[in-house]
Amino acid sequence: MATRMRAFARRRAAATTAVAVALAAGAFVAIMPFLFMVSTSLKTLVETLTRVDPLPFRAEFWPVEPQWNNYVDAWVRADFSIFFRNSVITAAVTVAGVLATSTLAAYAFAKMRFAGRVLVFSLLLGTLIIPESVYLVPNFILITKLGWNDRLAGLTVPFMASAFYIFLLRQFFNQLPDELIESARIDGAGHVRSFLGIVLPLSRAPLVTVIFLAFIGSWNALQWPLVATRTERWRPLTVGLTMFISESGPEWHLRMAGSVIAVAPVVLLYLLAQRQFTEAISRSGIKG
Amino acid sequence: MAENATAWAFIGPAVILIGLFGLFPALFTIYVSLFKYRGKPQGAFVGLGNYAELLGPNVLYLIAVVAAIAGMALGVWLIGRRHRWGVVALVAGLVLFAAGGVGIAVALPYLAAQGDYEVFDSLRVTIWYSFATVPVQLAAGMVLAVFLHRKMRGTQAFRVIYLTPYVAPAVASAAVFEQIFSLRPDAFANQVLKLFGLKPLEWLQSAKGLVPLLFGAGALPSAGAGTVGAYWLKWAQGPSLALSAIIIYSWWVFIGYYALIYMNGLSSIPRQLYEAAEVDGAGKVRSFFAITMPLLSPSTYFLSLLGIIGTFKAFTHIYVLRNVAAQGTTDPISVLIFYTFYNKSRMSYASAISMLLFVIVIGLTILQQRMAERRVTYGD
Repeated sequence: MATRMRAFARRRAAATTAVAVALAAGAFVAIMPFLFMVSTSLKTLVETLTRVDPLPFRAEFWPVEPQWNNYVDAWVRADFSIFFRNSVITAAVTVAGVLATSTLAAYAFAKMRFAGRVLVFSLLLGTLIIPESVYLVPNFILITKLGWNDRLAGLTVPFMASAFYIFLLRQFFNQLPDELIESARIDGAGHVRSFLGIVLPLSRAPLVTVIFLAFIGSWNALQWPLVATRTERWRPLTVGLTMFISESGPEWHLRMAGSVIAVAPVVLLYLLAQRQFTEAISRSGIKG
Repeated sequence: MAENATAWAFIGPAVILIGLFGLFPALFTIYVSLFKYRGKPQGAFVGLGNYAELLGPNVLYLIAVVAAIAGMALGVWLIGRRHRWGVVALVAGLVLFAAGGVGIAVALPYLAAQGDYEVFDSLRVTIWYSFATVPVQLAAGMVLAVFLHRKMRGTQAFRVIYLTPYVAPAVASAAVFEQIFSLRPDAFANQVLKLFGLKPLEWLQSAKGLVPLLFGAGALPSAGAGTVGAYWLKWAQGPSLALSAIIIYSWWVFIGYYALIYMNGLSSIPRQLYEAAEVDGAGKVRSFFAITMPLLSPSTYFLSLLGIIGTFKAFTHIYVLRNVAAQGTTDPISVLIFYTFYNKSRMSYASAISMLLFVIVIGLTILQQRMAERRVTYGD
């Protein structure tokens, strides 16, 4: 018996090692393009042409002397101060709007009984299958009529509510016991108070997730900002970077510096939100 | 009563916004597609003129294609009833299914030949993109999830790393892939080819189909016989090399996301099942196919629905790697709609194309729901 157990433990350890090696190899593939981005962004123009190697553990992959100035060059040449500010404001306003509309709606769908609840909820969910391309023309006409073309409102208001976030939050609110709200209501608290005082404080993980998802949705968006902006006034970083990439032509080091600037805020926020986020994504409403 | 008012006040903002920018536009698109908007939001009523340009003047071909699809659907439905209605239903179903298939094979080329070739080309690109990305991402995501699910140190770090490609802005990560797939002989992809003793390729700038590339120019006839032959010859070329590079990029972006969704499904599979299987002498591989895969079918269903509809909507990940030299072989229907609107200012025609996309997506959703009803195992 004991030898069998030992053989079993040995086999298990060997399997774990094999899995760890496979996972590390996969992680290398996932991370390699980012390393490439960083290393190229620190090279000189000549080095991007002559000092190239596809593998990060070899010296040729990295520059001889890191050129931190590339970041300043890219920032100035691509007008990133404006684009960066635009993206930050647009994302902040969108996230605030999403939070307000979706938490309220999700609370009502999870914890209140009212006329039209099922119908409205299924109508909202139905919008999830409509392709973005279908919205493109009508929403452009709509914001033009509203005078929101090239305005902050045109970039933010259409994205301030999404059935996806409502659905995600409702799944979580549903799991909170009804008695919690009932007992608060017996104590005289209205729905507004139980929403603000009980449900929201208990929902840190899903709220962090919604904030992060709404943030990357806004920060990474390209199609709509291309359509809804005409000047630099509210043009976001993604559009600015796209334009810079086509202008900079063969100056790969500057392109990559610009890309690092666009990726950095997302990665920073991601590291802050990662635990809640990976947790919530892997249970975004599906029964396994 | 008071509860009703409060509830509507709670959902009000979301309902108004989603109604205005999510539901209303879907209907407004139909309206716009009946006019001739060009740049300025004013234009003459043209009725179905945009649809005639899209699908060609002769409505018979369209009717034939729709009838063939309906025939195939009816055939599948009849085959499903074979236990109740016996052999007759089975035979009738198989005949209808086959006839529908032949009908599509013959009628679709004629429809494509009289309609807007750009739209039909982009539909083919969309289907290739969808079929080359979703199954691979499902399979790789599932295996990765099984690995990540193992109890060992550092899995959270792996999870974070694997999801980074998904959260990073596509504009930035695509810039790297543009370099990886550049035509320079020292570009990463070409270096890999060199390891295998192969010649460098033009990747994102190559409109060449994969089939002639892999099997030589002689693998396919140089010209198809007639309208039908010419149409299916285009399919036989396979996706262009440029599109294949974009497909690889999509794998890199989405596999981690798929794995994470699968992990939730894995955590709800009871351990006892695996223990029982081990007692019965089943190995790891055997229990993967006998337990893991079937019990993950709800996640697979969710992800394939999300994935196929998602690929029909995909824009950014393709747009950012688009190269003029690929001659439109990388443009799925979503990118074509964008160009029709943004570069050509043909708003009404773009709306008509987006209605076609919408109809296809609805059809796919219904199809998948039907299939899921029968196939998905809800393990408890």
